[in-house]
Amino acid sequence: MQVQDKNRPDAAWIEHLRARFPCEREIDRILVRKLSLRDGPGFSPVPLETLVAGVEALLVAEQVPDFTVTNPRWLSGGASKLQMAFDLEWQRPGLGFEKTAMVLRMEPAESIVETSRLREFQLIKAFEGVVPVPPVFWCDPDGTYLPYPALIYGFAPGVTKPSTAASGVSGLGMVIPESVRRHLAPQFVDMLARIHCHDFSQNALSAFDVPQINTTQCAEWGVNWWERVWLEDCEENVPMMHLAAAWMRRNLPVLDVASVVHSDYRSGNFLYTEHDNRITALLDWELGRIGDRHQDIAWTTSRAFSSMSEDGKTVLVCGLMPEREFYEGYEKASGLSINPKTVHWYKVFNAYSIATLTLGTGYRIARNGKTHQDILVAWLIGIGGMIVDEMRTLLEEAR
Amino acid sequence: MQMRPEVQIAAMIKALTDVVIPAVPPSNKLASEQAQLVVGMLHLMAAQLPVQFRFDRDELGRLLETASELSSLAVAEEAPRAALAELDRQRTEAMAVLEACRGEPAQLQASVASLRTSMCSLVDSFAASEDVVARERVETALFAMSKAQLLRDRALMKPQRWEPDPAAVPDITSLLAG
Repeated sequence: MQVQDKNRPDAAWIEHLRARFPCEREIDRILVRKLSLRDGPGFSPVPLETLVAGVEALLVAEQVPDFTVTNPRWLSGGASKLQMAFDLEWQRPGLGFEKTAMVLRMEPAESIVETSRLREFQLIKAFEGVVPVPPVFWCDPDGTYLPYPALIYGFAPGVTKPSTAASGVSGLGMVIPESVRRHLAPQFVDMLARIHCHDFSQNALSAFDVPQINTTQCAEWGVNWWERVWLEDCEENVPMMHLAAAWMRRNLPVLDVASVVHSDYRSGNFLYTEHDNRITALLDWELGRIGDRHQDIAWTTSRAFSSMSEDGKTVLVCGLMPEREFYEGYEKASGLSINPKTVHWYKVFNAYSIATLTLGTGYRIARNGKTHQDILVAWLIGIGGMIVDEMRTLLEEAR
Repeated sequence: MQMRPEVQIAAMIKALTDVVIPAVPPSNKLASEQAQLVVGMLHLMAAQLPVQFRFDRDELGRLLETASELSSLAVAEEAPRAALAELDRQRTEAMAVLEACRGEPAQLQASVASLRTSMCSLVDSFAASEDVVARERVETALFAMSKAQLLRDRALMKPQRWEPDPAAVPDITSLLAG
């Protein structure tokens, strides 16, 4: 059997993967795009001037009259996208002239999470007024005006962690003081419930496919997505990944209610203002999909995002609250039930996807110099063993 | 083990070259010079790593040749005679070491990769199988193997401080001792 060079994928292999792992159309599009460009150049630093010119070209194309882009500067944070903050002086529709703080969020050549800017744009738009989200303004889904696909959103006030809190990279393992978490925890649960209960049928979500309820299609699309990414990106084979994929396919859960799923709902991905401990914006919707609420519930309770309370015994979901408290609060706020068996399945699914991102994609993109922070994605490879071991434990519990 | 030095070094060079060095003020000559030297040293490491084992083995072979040649030397004085006897003792040990080091680290890595791939293919081959008994035997064996291996993977990365309870993960040296 001929061994595929994953650093130079050929068209036949790409088609083979597409046929073997059917998933949502927009997911398929961005994965094909990723592999088609893999053989191309790595990421080279982009000057701020280039990004400003790209933003200006996008705004002209969007017919924004009389604007000025000023004060461009880099923002740090996050492992997957480049972010440039800037001020936009413009005639804001309905509000008149204003100077608005903005953020450009742009992909590198390949990202640790290969996702669609169009989906992210549409999803944030859909939740304006439902839960706190940063205002999103414009999208360049194919990188027509900017060097890579990008979107522009407004600057939301707040911090991702208390000024005094400790955490690892990307907000993982965050420790939040009790005096703060008692305010944040109820909001955190309530907002998740609101996301899952939102009627998305009236929203413009053309980049999303809706899985059929009372079938296993939703779960199957999910497994297809991540098994495909694993095979596209991994270097070393991991037997546990194959065992997990086989187990998931033998035990696909049936979807009872189709909800919008954030897919990365955790501490580190929301902003809050420290003076009143109010959550001001839910961030990082890039992995969102229309799917099964149990995916979010399982994700939020992942060991990777948990931390220990001050008593040294209680594991806190996202550093905020004990797991039982989280489940009870969610069911009360949403009126939706939690099926423990489905949560278990999605815990395996989520562990599988994180293992894919860290061990597979993290390796591939760092090896090929594809990002603006290869050092960070290479660092994240190190969490892979812990995640796969968590997945192994979950699978053994299910045997 | 996916996080290997070649990827780590490449990522460090890129971070220094693309981000850190351009941010060092040109007026800070010492910082600029040392940053460039770090990049140079990392490039050197990247070049040395693939041949380091072979380099040492090659030297051991040459030392052994010379030690063999010297072992036939006849000397009368006590001090040189004792030194030659010690050299001969070391030569015998070194010959055994050289014999044990005939393989390359890359061969070891390739064998690990091949066996991993074969085991994954075995798992995949049972996807449509109705032989549940055989499938479960395969799974049981792979679960046991993975449990032991993943503990080592986690121990190797313990210094990164991902573990919520680091005390529950032994140090890698103790796990590799046997």
